[in-house]
Amino acid sequence: MNAMISTVRRRPRRWRFEARNRPEVLFPLALYLLFTLIPFYWMLVFAFRPTGSNAILPTDLTLDHFRTVWTGLGFGIFFRNSLLVGVATLLVVSVFALSGGYALARYNFGGRKVFLLALLCTQFIPGAMMLIPLFEIFRQLHLVNNLWALVIAETTFQLPLSLILMSGFIRNIPIDLEEAAWVDGCSRFRGFLAIVLPLLRPALVAVGSFAFIGSWNNFLFALMFMSNQSKFTIPVGLSYTLGEFDVDFGALAAGGVVAAVPVVLVFAVVQRYLVTGLSAGAVKG
Amino acid sequence: MSTCPVMTTNTSKTKHIKGAIMLERQGRQLRRGRHPYRPLVLGTALAMASGLLLAGCGDDDSGTGSDGKETITFWDNNGGPDRTPLWQGLIADFQSANPKITVKYVGIPAASVQQKYDTAVAAGGTPDVAGATTSYLGGLVAQQALEPLDDRAKTAGLESKIVPSFVDSVRKVATDAKLYEIPTSANLDVLWYRKDLFDQAKLKAPATWNDFFTDVSKLTDAQKNQYGFTIRGGAGSIFQLLTEMYSYSGVNSFFDTSGKSTINDPKNVELIQKIAALYKKDTPAADVNNDFTKMVAQFGGGSIAIMHHNLGSSANNVKALGADKVAAVPLPVAVSGTRTIVPNPVDGLVMFKASKHKDAAWKFIEFISQKSSNSTWNKTVGQIPANTEVTSESWVQDQQPVRDALAAINESGTVSVQAPYYLPEFSAITKTDMGPLFQKVLLGTMTAQEFADTFATKMTEAQAKYTKRVGG
Repeated sequence: MNAMISTVRRRPRRWRFEARNRPEVLFPLALYLLFTLIPFYWMLVFAFRPTGSNAILPTDLTLDHFRTVWTGLGFGIFFRNSLLVGVATLLVVSVFALSGGYALARYNFGGRKVFLLALLCTQFIPGAMMLIPLFEIFRQLHLVNNLWALVIAETTFQLPLSLILMSGFIRNIPIDLEEAAWVDGCSRFRGFLAIVLPLLRPALVAVGSFAFIGSWNNFLFALMFMSNQSKFTIPVGLSYTLGEFDVDFGALAAGGVVAAVPVVLVFAVVQRYLVTGLSAGAVKG
Repeated sequence: MSTCPVMTTNTSKTKHIKGAIMLERQGRQLRRGRHPYRPLVLGTALAMASGLLLAGCGDDDSGTGSDGKETITFWDNNGGPDRTPLWQGLIADFQSANPKITVKYVGIPAASVQQKYDTAVAAGGTPDVAGATTSYLGGLVAQQALEPLDDRAKTAGLESKIVPSFVDSVRKVATDAKLYEIPTSANLDVLWYRKDLFDQAKLKAPATWNDFFTDVSKLTDAQKNQYGFTIRGGAGSIFQLLTEMYSYSGVNSFFDTSGKSTINDPKNVELIQKIAALYKKDTPAADVNNDFTKMVAQFGGGSIAIMHHNLGSSANNVKALGADKVAAVPLPVAVSGTRTIVPNPVDGLVMFKASKHKDAAWKFIEFISQKSSNSTWNKTVGQIPANTEVTSESWVQDQQPVRDALAAINESGTVSVQAPYYLPEFSAITKTDMGPLFQKVLLGTMTAQEFADTFATKMTEAQAKYTKRVGG
């Protein structure tokens, strides 16, 4: 068993070692990295250099733009709101995706394929089309100006893809594992918690990350369903820097840094699970 | 290399072994004091915490308190780092003067304001008072979302204190010619220019279109990455082009007496040709995609000598280049010698029909329109005040771009060509239809004449539909 595991682990190491000495692999990757990172560099330069400066290198640094967005524009509140909505959406989407995905993967009920197709079709509906119906529903539920409206709207739009991903992933876990647990006396729920759930960690990370980032970046719902300065989220705050006639580039860049940090951190922590989760759910499904 | 057969085949036996291993792991975790469902417990705790925090973020619409205090909601149509604090200051002043009224400020990002208003009107979530410009006022009036303010303005003696041409612009937007917006400020297209570069080249600010084209050519030095002009080829290009066309041609109306568009007037076409000829010769090649942000950034970056924009970019230009290096002049006079201007949308305040606090809302509108508030507002944002009592204040004379723009508007010979904002199709024609075609003109794949003819046909059709609708 140990020999077997070490064989599996050695393969990527060897590949990495070989890739290190292959310029035809490294050069395009370096170019791509440069292409990707230059806009981030510009964002940092604009965020930290004083207004009026044209310096390409960050020589004369200032935190004025961060003060403008954090205290002047109220990014502190927007950040808290985005975080609350993001975390709540992540949790709600994960719970529904787990339960729904399990049902789709393990039960063969009538209309299952049609349901899956319908889920897929919902992905073609743009969010803007649903604005007025959703607004009307939330108004009747007294949820306009309530952050739960954002969580519900986000969950509605994120759940179909999450269900498809999760069901694909669960289908890849052999039913025999659960059967082994049932033989040992577990109930179906206990078997799911003890056997399936731990194996779903990569899928949960993938689904959760998408839910969080989708919610974190959503501008339209936050602007339309909230009509209170203290309820807006980060994307609305960012758009404040783009005025009708003028643009505060420093504040825009500083706001961009504030908005990007949580997403970058989330990706940094979960990236190894994310790749596994996406490939397992998508390729083998 | 030998491969373990257990890894390559998914036998039922292997799966049972894996299941047993997992159960054993659960047992080990329990013995170590780690609950096997720890992630689930943590998730539930996190969900409850988020739920509690989110539940605390409930609705708080405008209304009347038990103490008789009224709360009205005000939507600012251009919320941002400069204007939001200004509004908050004015609101604080209003609340001091009217202690029984509280104003709830909501800043709406300028780029999405029309969508926000339309959604609120359609779904029934409008505020009491909002900022609006004449560019989308017509749409709100057509949806019957606004309260006419004629009687209130007359009773308060407010209408006579507002620049007449601004009131006229507002009335022309509505088919019933009622006053649905109280103007607070207006804007004018100007040529921003680099004083230092003009001084170095011993040139004067362009007063005629001939001066303009000569200056642009003289101030271009592509080797040094310095260009005489920057063309707005991207978003918003058409309105700017229209102001140039009518300023150049001196044509005094968008339609002739038979309702035919004057856009393809030979002098208008001539201007389009001349502007297109500047592209890549005296302007950067990237101008074909220029929206106002890129244009203002280029000008602020120091590579452009003249930029056509409005007074709104004043703060950006001064901040980027310094007050000593930048100035503005109104667009040059027409070849006929007449000054012809296409006024920018007039900014002001509207009251929504669904408001339950109309008297309180009006008090707020009246307060913002009065001399001191109007002066504070326009002085800070660098726009033309709507209140006639403010136009004579010293700060107007001190702010060169505002002073010259106001003088151009008030010149006795100035002809004001009102853009047809009342046409529901105007926004789509100028933004969606004609924008890409102007890019074709710049790129040389469409002639100026073809462009102007297409534009004129669309406008004539829209005008005919409008005339039919209002029974003309």
